[in-house]
Amino acid sequence: MNNYKNYAQNYSIIDNDELLSVENLHFSWGENKVLNGINFTIPKNELVAVLGINGAGKSTMLKCVNRILKPEKGFIKLLNKDINDLNLVELAKNISYVPQSVLTQFSMDVFDVVLLGRRPHINWRVSENDREIVSNTLKFLKLEDFAFRSFNKLSGGERQRVIIAKAVAQDSKLLLMDEPTSDLDLKNQIVVMKNIKKLIREGKDKSAIIAIHDINIAARFADRILLLHQNELIGEGTPEEVLNEENIATVYGVSCVVEKRTEYESMRIIIKDEIKQKNKRKEEEE
Amino acid sequence: MESISEIHIKKSKFQILLILALSLVTLILAITSMGVGSSENLGFFSTFKIVLGIDQSNDIQSSIIWRIRLPRVIIAIVGGAALATAGALMQGSLGNPLVSPLTLGVASGAALGAALGIIIGFSISEPIGIIIDFLWNLILNIIIYPVNMISMAIFSVALDIPPIPFTGAETVIITNAFIFSLFVVFLIIKLGNYRSVSAESYILVGIAITFICGAIVSTMTYFASDSQLSQLTHWSFGSLARTSLIQSISISIIIILLMPNAMKWAWDLNSLSLGGDDFAISTGVDPIVTRKKILILSAFMTSIIISFTGLIGFLGLAAPHMSRLIVGNDYRKLIPCSAVFGSLLMLFADTLGRTLFAPIVIPVGIMLSIIGGPFFMYLLLQKRRKY
Repeated sequence: MNNYKNYAQNYSIIDNDELLSVENLHFSWGENKVLNGINFTIPKNELVAVLGINGAGKSTMLKCVNRILKPEKGFIKLLNKDINDLNLVELAKNISYVPQSVLTQFSMDVFDVVLLGRRPHINWRVSENDREIVSNTLKFLKLEDFAFRSFNKLSGGERQRVIIAKAVAQDSKLLLMDEPTSDLDLKNQIVVMKNIKKLIREGKDKSAIIAIHDINIAARFADRILLLHQNELIGEGTPEEVLNEENIATVYGVSCVVEKRTEYESMRIIIKDEIKQKNKRKEEEE
Repeated sequence: MESISEIHIKKSKFQILLILALSLVTLILAITSMGVGSSENLGFFSTFKIVLGIDQSNDIQSSIIWRIRLPRVIIAIVGGAALATAGALMQGSLGNPLVSPLTLGVASGAALGAALGIIIGFSISEPIGIIIDFLWNLILNIIIYPVNMISMAIFSVALDIPPIPFTGAETVIITNAFIFSLFVVFLIIKLGNYRSVSAESYILVGIAITFICGAIVSTMTYFASDSQLSQLTHWSFGSLARTSLIQSISISIIIILLMPNAMKWAWDLNSLSLGGDDFAISTGVDPIVTRKKILILSAFMTSIIISFTGLIGFLGLAAPHMSRLIVGNDYRKLIPCSAVFGSLLMLFADTLGRTLFAPIVIPVGIMLSIIGGPFFMYLLLQKRRKY
């Protein structure tokens, strides 16, 4: 019996592998359509990158999943439950969200900001366990030295890492991150992404959806890529499958060279130049 | 080396100790404040001898202690605490450091009520009084008179039951101010029912209410007599002299009952004030519902206090900020600290106002702005780096 269970779990017969499923998601700001029928599922233990140009709907999609925005149409299910059936505290136990930036008039110690990640789990009193989780998270993201500095006095990148730490301390199944590396320096971009990857690998059934602009970071760290273009999902799959010259040209309007993954190097995309549209070129010639 | 958790606990304990120390200072000041005043009949030490039962008091002395000084000290403590707490709650829930308890227009509603009472002589409690009088007479006619007739017939004794006077002249302004400010609270509740209402729209509607009420009051003052004008001006100064002992005790009970309710929101306020609406949702806080409930609570607390004291605006703005310099923005400590600091400031300003130019008493609202303003600026400029 036990053997069967192990077998079954390994091959996902008993345990449903699906963490999040989004069906036919529509969203618009007034007349302006932002998401037009998006469908995808996120399995457990995967780091998924969402790519697309500014205004493609990456942030909107993440906000819909976290119920910050209410979609016009469509279903979002977390572990087979409609997210609208969960109250916000239950939702926060399962989904944590890293906004693009947090600007505040009122500041707190970094420790207390990360402690807010424990808010869905605590009633009023902070337990020893919560403090442990917060200090371990700070250590994990190399933020120990900042623990008692004021959040507002940190640089943009440091602040971003603190908010990531808050999401990690929340200990949720699904991490939503809206451009978590946008304010970080080169080294920290890699360190943070490695940490998130480690968290997904070692955490129990955790997944992350990360909206990101840097396609090379996405190619290196993501297990799967969702490519948004003109309010629709035009590509879904591994970085090798999705990030080809054609797709990048369609979405970003740039020409590029894709270097395949080797034994030592992850795949790399070298951006060449913008692709000028033909009629524009004609106008210029005239 | 200490772990991060240990440092955090230590820091928390230190901040709680600071709050306790502040409470002690407030208590000492309250006792001192009981002893000082402009009366020549009552010295500093004789007050305590009378209170402790060592000396016998004459009528004037006991009247000063129990009917003038004690209510004043009580309303200073409770009013300061309530206004400062309301300020802290409003600033946090609206994510704006410029907000004070008067921002939502509660005070201008109260001012409108007071002006109506003083200038036009309109009393909102009159219609209610008429109804109660009617009911009372009904009870008298149906129950008491037959009982009296029977008792007259048998024992030749009648019960002497006077009709109840529901409204006295001195309570007109208070009830008017209170009910009109409640009307503003009601508007805020209505506004909060719109699903998409943002923090900014609360502030803007509050400012609009302030302008509308201000315009109506100005129109009335245009037709007011000199004595009415001076009465209204005195009301708007903000003074602690108008409250009776019974009133101050009743206010205390209401505020003490409301305080735990304020503390209940501490975590939600931490989340809301730090990162705004999106951030709050991600930590399991519904910003719209939470903000609405917090604003109703704080507007209610404000309206209770200012209908008795008149306009005291600066305290609710400054006390939370001063407390942030002491304990930071963690509302679990900020709410109690603001309450204590508010009491302390109000007591200090009122005691100073009573003694500085005795026997002239400077209203507490004026004292708070004159002393508190520069002190507040000094603190902000000095410790700007700290928060």
